[in-house]
Amino acid sequence: MSPEALIKGTKPQAISNLYTVILAVAFGVVVATAAFVAYKCYFYYGTFWSAQ
Amino acid sequence: MSNLTKILIVLLTLSSIMLCGIVVTYVANADNFKEKYERTNSLQASAQQEKESLSTQLKEKIQQNDEREKSDKDQIAKLKIQADELNAKLNASTRQVNELIERTNSFAATTKDFQATTEKQAQLLASAQEEVKQLKAEQIKLTKELEQTSTAVVEKTALLEAAEADKRRLVEEKADLQNRMDKMLQGGARVAAAGGPVTQERGKAIAAAQTITDSSNIKGLISEIDAKRSWAALSIGQADGVKEGMKFHVTRGDEFICDLLIVDVDTDKAAGVLELVQQSPKVGDNASTIL
Repeated sequence: MSPEALIKGTKPQAISNLYTVILAVAFGVVVATAAFVAYKCYFYYGTFWSAQ
Repeated sequence: MSNLTKILIVLLTLSSIMLCGIVVTYVANADNFKEKYERTNSLQASAQQEKESLSTQLKEKIQQNDEREKSDKDQIAKLKIQADELNAKLNASTRQVNELIERTNSFAATTKDFQATTEKQAQLLASAQEEVKQLKAEQIKLTKELEQTSTAVVEKTALLEAAEADKRRLVEEKADLQNRMDKMLQGGARVAAAGGPVTQERGKAIAAAQTITDSSNIKGLISEIDAKRSWAALSIGQADGVKEGMKFHVTRGDEFICDLLIVDVDTDKAAGVLELVQQSPKVGDNASTIL
């Protein structure tokens, strides 16, 4: 949200969808990595976090 | 949107991608430690069990070895005692063997000396027997010579007696003739009757020798023998001219066996004592008064 929008009180709009996609890709990569790590942990140790 | 925000978005995206790739790579290559732990734990448990069983076996083996060691020590002690006893027996046996060897050597030496002495005595005995044989032969010869001399003496005595009888007869004839001559010289024409001498003319001494010769020519055979009492019997007796005191010479072929002195005479047999026995007489040996 740009400062001008804050000043004017208008509805914020994405400046560019390109960077939103990039952020979405980054988020997706992180989520996928977390899911993969969680799968591996559960597959190997039977739990997501602490050792039984 | 400022440029800085854009740059930050791009850097955030790139860094997140890079870090997520690193994380994914690490997690994908990470080992399963739980599985490893369980495997190792099971191996440890089995190793522990094996250790316990091995320790149990080791204890049993140690006990068995201790028991064996004890029994072996006992056996070793017993065997040592037996070995000592056997050594003592061996020493005693060795001493006995040495004593026996010494005795054997002494016996052998004694036996050698005894054999040498026996050989010497045998030689002396043989020489003595030879001398006895020679003396017996000489005795027999002397006996024969004595008998011949006795016969000659008897002959000479008979001749002497005959000569003395002739002498007495001649003396008597001389005295008779002297009486006749005295009577004739005294004037008597008496002719003395022819008178014979008082002493009769005797036979020749040869006749006596002939009688002796005839009596010494008696021959017979040995009919019985009693070797224990040195007695023997002859097959001839008083009817053949055998008398007590006669001596017969027993021969076998040309060998002289013994003499037989007659002590008992029967009509057709006689018995006597064996003398000068050279060999044992047998039934059938010749016996004669002259060799």
